[in-house]
Amino acid sequence: MQGGSTGVGYGLKYQARCITDIKADRVHTSFLAGTLSLKEENEVHLIQLSPSGTELNCEGLFYHPHEIWHLADCPFNPRIFSTVYASGGTYGAALWEIPELYNQSNAPQLEQLVSLDAHNGKIKCIIWWPLGMHDKVIGIDEENLVVWSLDTSAKSAKVHSQESVDMPHYFSGGAWDPHDQNSLATTCESAIQCWDLRTMKKTISIEHANVRSADYNPNKQHLVVTAEDESGLRIWDFRMPKVPVREISGHAHWTWSVQHNPKYDELILSAGTDSAVNLWLASSNNGEGPTSESLLEPPTRHIDPLIHSYNDYEDSVYGLAWSSKDPSVFASISYDGRVVVESVKPHIPKR
Amino acid sequence: MAVDLPLDEKARRMRELLSSFYSQNQATSNGAIKSASLDAIDSPSFDADQFMDLLIKKSNLEGLLQRHVEMAAEIKNLDTDLQMLVYENYNKFISATETIKRMNNNIAGMETNMEQLLEKIMSVQSKSDGVNTSLFERREHIEKLNRTRNLLRKVQFIYDLPARLAKCIKSEAYADAVRFYIGAMPIFEAYGESSFQDCKKESEQAMAIVTRNLQAKLSLDSEPVEARAEAAVLLKQLNYPVDDLKSRILEEKLEHLLLALQHEAKEPEPAPMSSDVPPVVGMGSVSPDPHSNKAFYEFAKTVRAYRVIFPDSERRPIELARNLFLKRFETIQKHIEKKISSVDLLAMLRLIWNDVLIMDEVLPEAALPSFASEAASVAINQYVSRAFSYLLSQVSDALTGVNSKQKGGSEGENLLQIALESGKKVVTQGSMDLLLELRQLMDDDLVLVARLKDLYIDWVQEGLQGFFRALDDYFLMLSGKSNPASQGAGSIDGIPVDKVLPGLILVLVQLSVFIEQNAIPRITEEIAASFSGGGARGYEDGPPFVPAEVCRIFRSAGEKFLHVYISMKTKKISVLLKKRFTTPNWVKHKEPREVHMFVDLLLQELEAVRAEVKQVLPHGVVRKHHRSDSTGSTNSSRSNPIRDDKMGRSNTQRARSQLLESHLAKLFKQKMEIFTKVEYTQESVVSTIVKLCLKSFQEFVRLQTFNRSGFQQVQLDSQFLRIPLKEIVEDEAAIDFLLDEVLVAGAERCLDPIPLESAILDKLIQAKLARS
Repeated sequence: MQGGSTGVGYGLKYQARCITDIKADRVHTSFLAGTLSLKEENEVHLIQLSPSGTELNCEGLFYHPHEIWHLADCPFNPRIFSTVYASGGTYGAALWEIPELYNQSNAPQLEQLVSLDAHNGKIKCIIWWPLGMHDKVIGIDEENLVVWSLDTSAKSAKVHSQESVDMPHYFSGGAWDPHDQNSLATTCESAIQCWDLRTMKKTISIEHANVRSADYNPNKQHLVVTAEDESGLRIWDFRMPKVPVREISGHAHWTWSVQHNPKYDELILSAGTDSAVNLWLASSNNGEGPTSESLLEPPTRHIDPLIHSYNDYEDSVYGLAWSSKDPSVFASISYDGRVVVESVKPHIPKR
Repeated sequence: MAVDLPLDEKARRMRELLSSFYSQNQATSNGAIKSASLDAIDSPSFDADQFMDLLIKKSNLEGLLQRHVEMAAEIKNLDTDLQMLVYENYNKFISATETIKRMNNNIAGMETNMEQLLEKIMSVQSKSDGVNTSLFERREHIEKLNRTRNLLRKVQFIYDLPARLAKCIKSEAYADAVRFYIGAMPIFEAYGESSFQDCKKESEQAMAIVTRNLQAKLSLDSEPVEARAEAAVLLKQLNYPVDDLKSRILEEKLEHLLLALQHEAKEPEPAPMSSDVPPVVGMGSVSPDPHSNKAFYEFAKTVRAYRVIFPDSERRPIELARNLFLKRFETIQKHIEKKISSVDLLAMLRLIWNDVLIMDEVLPEAALPSFASEAASVAINQYVSRAFSYLLSQVSDALTGVNSKQKGGSEGENLLQIALESGKKVVTQGSMDLLLELRQLMDDDLVLVARLKDLYIDWVQEGLQGFFRALDDYFLMLSGKSNPASQGAGSIDGIPVDKVLPGLILVLVQLSVFIEQNAIPRITEEIAASFSGGGARGYEDGPPFVPAEVCRIFRSAGEKFLHVYISMKTKKISVLLKKRFTTPNWVKHKEPREVHMFVDLLLQELEAVRAEVKQVLPHGVVRKHHRSDSTGSTNSSRSNPIRDDKMGRSNTQRARSQLLESHLAKLFKQKMEIFTKVEYTQESVVSTIVKLCLKSFQEFVRLQTFNRSGFQQVQLDSQFLRIPLKEIVEDEAAIDFLLDEVLVAGAERCLDPIPLESAILDKLIQAKLARS
């Protein structure tokens, strides 16, 4: 499965790790990408896919004061996004607003809405509730889980509640359940944990090492896919947390990031440090009936869930984003700062 | 007058006329006038006037005239008929009168004669009465005497009975004896208690002797069968409980036989030992035991005799015979449980089959051959499956041996190798031996087996397929990667993932490859040579043994295990690296003083991998820096100059230009494919693991931010790794490339990337080398 260079490319000036889809932009297929450069001035690029789907245009280029380790869009306002940044060994997180672009005023400063500075460790990510308006954001640093109450008009954010992880573990990331505003999954060094945000208590904890990324199934509740260093992808059903519903081999090296397609939930995209993006077809039909798979074990077992491997990258791929405007399109970003937008149209399962 | 008419016609006409005259009374006479066309003329309600009117209206004069003529003729005709009738009747009447007159005369003379006759008869009767009465008294007397005489004769007979019986016994005329005795039976029954007591006793004694003799005769094999049959009949007449006797005869024999058979069953006990020696000799040990054979013949003979003797009871011997064979097949199955060689099995089956044939002659109703072949098919099926499961357990023995031994901690360098070799040997040699054995069973011309040939082939193929499936499952279980389905059931997976020995997995890898590449082709050949055909149950799914499928299973299993092994190893090293990179504060790192100790751990780990791999996997073709080897690719030409630069040039300026250069090079280089397909060779596996580790190294570095000293530490560590890693991995270019990448990553993530001077670098490395 050699990935042909079917994708549309776009180059950032510096190295980069993160890209996000702008879910609130209902008109265009647009993405935000942020660079990661220790010594140069970092940028955030607002990129739009032309309606023909053959070109990526830069709709805005903004300077960002520090190197960006995490970038997340605001699901209800296309002009707002959050970043996690680092400078020298210290970390910070902030919400930014893209200034109105009056003609070609390139590279204006971003307007910092709020600085989320109650964090003290290495901040991992800022998470928005994925489906739209919500007055909370969650910040995860290595040791703490902070729920922020947000008021974008007043440009303020307050710590709503906070919980620390047990000491030997460090948070590595998280995902907010789109089916339940009160449920959050976090990943840490040795476990996947589920939190109830009302009580800030752990509800489920799956002992499982080295999870890097987690993503809720957008259509089926309780199902989560995780990516890990050596063992590839696993699909979990939080109702049966003992054994993964499904295991997929993943990447040749670490699997860094994983995302469900927002519409076709059995399409799963993963990015890895083996400079490849893999598209998997993994129906987690165990979610509906545990018998169906075990009965058909031998035939289904041998079907390779890998549909396509896009490996036209020069370096490790850390960033991944499906477009919510056009679910057959995703953007990926490799460490060398190259954004590639690909269409998965030929691989969408027919139904 | 009607003489000129033909006789029968005349008679017919007469009859008609007469009958019409008598039956339809006068009515017909009116209708004497006949019309040609109108029926109504004959009917009683004929109205002449109407008829006339109709006629006149209908016909013309000529017609009327003609009608008239016709009618006149008809009337005339009728007239003659009537005359004739009258005459006939008159004639008959006259003759009848005459006859009556004659009879009257005769009867008048007879009356006197009758009276005379009566008188005479009366006198005869009175005379005969006289005679009768005069003879009556005497006759009565004679009758009485006669009766007495009969009685006396009977009494005499009864008194004579004992003596007679004795005589019969002496002359062995038992049939007579029985007849006599049965004749006397009613008397004994009536008067036995009183007048003939002694006599009865004596004759009963005699009869007891008779019965005893008969019994003896019945059960005596030397007697001719007819005599025994007769004895049986006689005994039955004597109301002797023959049924008891029957079963006793048979059971006695059977017991005898079973004893002999048990003796025989014990006999093959030493056979497995002797069959380990060339199986040809094996025949000797199980050649039909003469003792049991004789016993069986006797049993057959008994049954035959029994059938003659008791022709009316069939069930019992059939049951007995079936039971007998059932028991014998059971013992065979017991033997199979204990594992016997096919030769022994054959010998046993042959023995049974011979006996079955013998029995079948005697007892065709029992349908023993089909019964036996059913039982034999069960037994053989069991034998086949048992053989395969035994093979599986052998394989598992060979493999788990490693497990336990290694846990025991005994320092065996070549444990894995030994396990692999024994595993291989068991798989090939074991399965070939097994097939050979099974083949012997098939090649035999024994009817019992030959009949099952097709089924048997299917079983063998099925068994083989099942064996490899089970083997795969077993391997999976050993690797701790059993199916999620069975995991959910929590059934057999006794080995949790973390306790699986990586070495064992390596053995499984090699074994799977070996099975796919060597064992299966050989076995397939063997199957094709000796077990082709089959298909007794139809071929919807092709032959039961599908080598391609088995190959596929094991190919994927081999790959899977290889990946499991690699991921186990890399996971371990990953943990090591992670600890190394997440613990220190790299931004505040102190100047490097020595090579960090994690390097030792890393090398140690890799060395262990190499040692393990060396035991199990074969050497690959040694190739270095080949262009065809994707790992090399353009990189070998690229990375070397960089390295030379690095080595050659000095100090800070070098670092800057190097960074720039590496960026430039990155632009132009082709993608370095570090993640090539793993081959089943030592080199490939080791280099894959090393490459994955170095890649992880790079990724960990990318996640940190370094100060100058931190970067220098990374530089030092990676520089130190260069030489030992190249010793481990054949692909030096890849090592250089990856370590350079680490360095580049370090430089990129460094706030002040000034590398160590090469002199210091060398000094520190030398110091480290000197210490170890």
